[in-house]
Amino acid sequence: MKKLMKIILQFIKKIKIGDLLTIFIFIVLTGYLASILWNFPQGEYLKIQMGKQVIGSFSLNQNVIKIIEGPIGKTEVIIDSGKVRISKSPCTKKYCLHQGWINKLNQTIVCVPNQISISIIGARTDYDSLNY
Amino acid sequence: MTRSIIKISSQDHKVAKLASIAIALSLIEFFLPSPIPGVKPGIANIIILFTIIKFGFSTALWVSLIRVFVVSIIVGTFLGPTFFLSLTGSIFSLLFLFLFKGINGKYFSVISLSLIAAFSHIIGQFLIVRFWIIPHDGIFYLLPVFLISALIFGLVNGIITSTLLNNK
Repeated sequence: MKKLMKIILQFIKKIKIGDLLTIFIFIVLTGYLASILWNFPQGEYLKIQMGKQVIGSFSLNQNVIKIIEGPIGKTEVIIDSGKVRISKSPCTKKYCLHQGWINKLNQTIVCVPNQISISIIGARTDYDSLNY
Repeated sequence: MTRSIIKISSQDHKVAKLASIAIALSLIEFFLPSPIPGVKPGIANIIILFTIIKFGFSTALWVSLIRVFVVSIIVGTFLGPTFFLSLTGSIFSLLFLFLFKGINGKYFSVISLSLIAAFSHIIGQFLIVRFWIIPHDGIFYLLPVFLISALIFGLVNGIITSTLLNNK
């Protein structure tokens, strides 16, 4: 263990003062790019659909519970200041419940048995898929 | 039939030896599994850096380009997208190494050069991916992952090269 430490120390000694500057510059560059590139936009509205019929768009900046009547029962959607989830659903698999909270633009929860789909939309809608 | 004679200089022998080591390292790396596809340690870079310090830039240029062509032929990706990615990465690395090789001295060591090479390699590859292979901005979400790996492996490769240079 002591020998290993000695070897590591020997390696670290090879780093010169300018190298520390280079390392620092690249860490800052990486962090800066990561903060720009991983800044996913937040949505503004929640669009609720049943089948093809749009039930409505609701602002995300509120705390409300929406109950939507679907073909097999009632689905309960909770909007909690910026984030949304499905809290009750009559379906058997409960995939929609397990998806948990969504809060980013274009995220969607779908409950196929009850034909309910909710998605977060913004002022501008992005592509839902791209093909190349 | 005339026999053409190619004179082989000691420079050619040197390039061949260094290139063969770089090719061997690349092949070892090719068969190593990677947790994230595309993230590779780039251990052949050690040889390129070693060459650039010991024998100068033009030797390193030869070694690097020979490595890219031969490895792609052995592995079977010659003229495929992987080959062009590799080629672009190498050309970008060499370009930035050419620009910055002067800083190696009292304050900066080969570790800085290694980091510069690793970063320019990634940037070059991302540019060609963005403009040719996958023309969509979505790939830039992956950039920080590759930059972090460039930081780690650039540092490690730089320290290894520095050790190699001091031992000689």
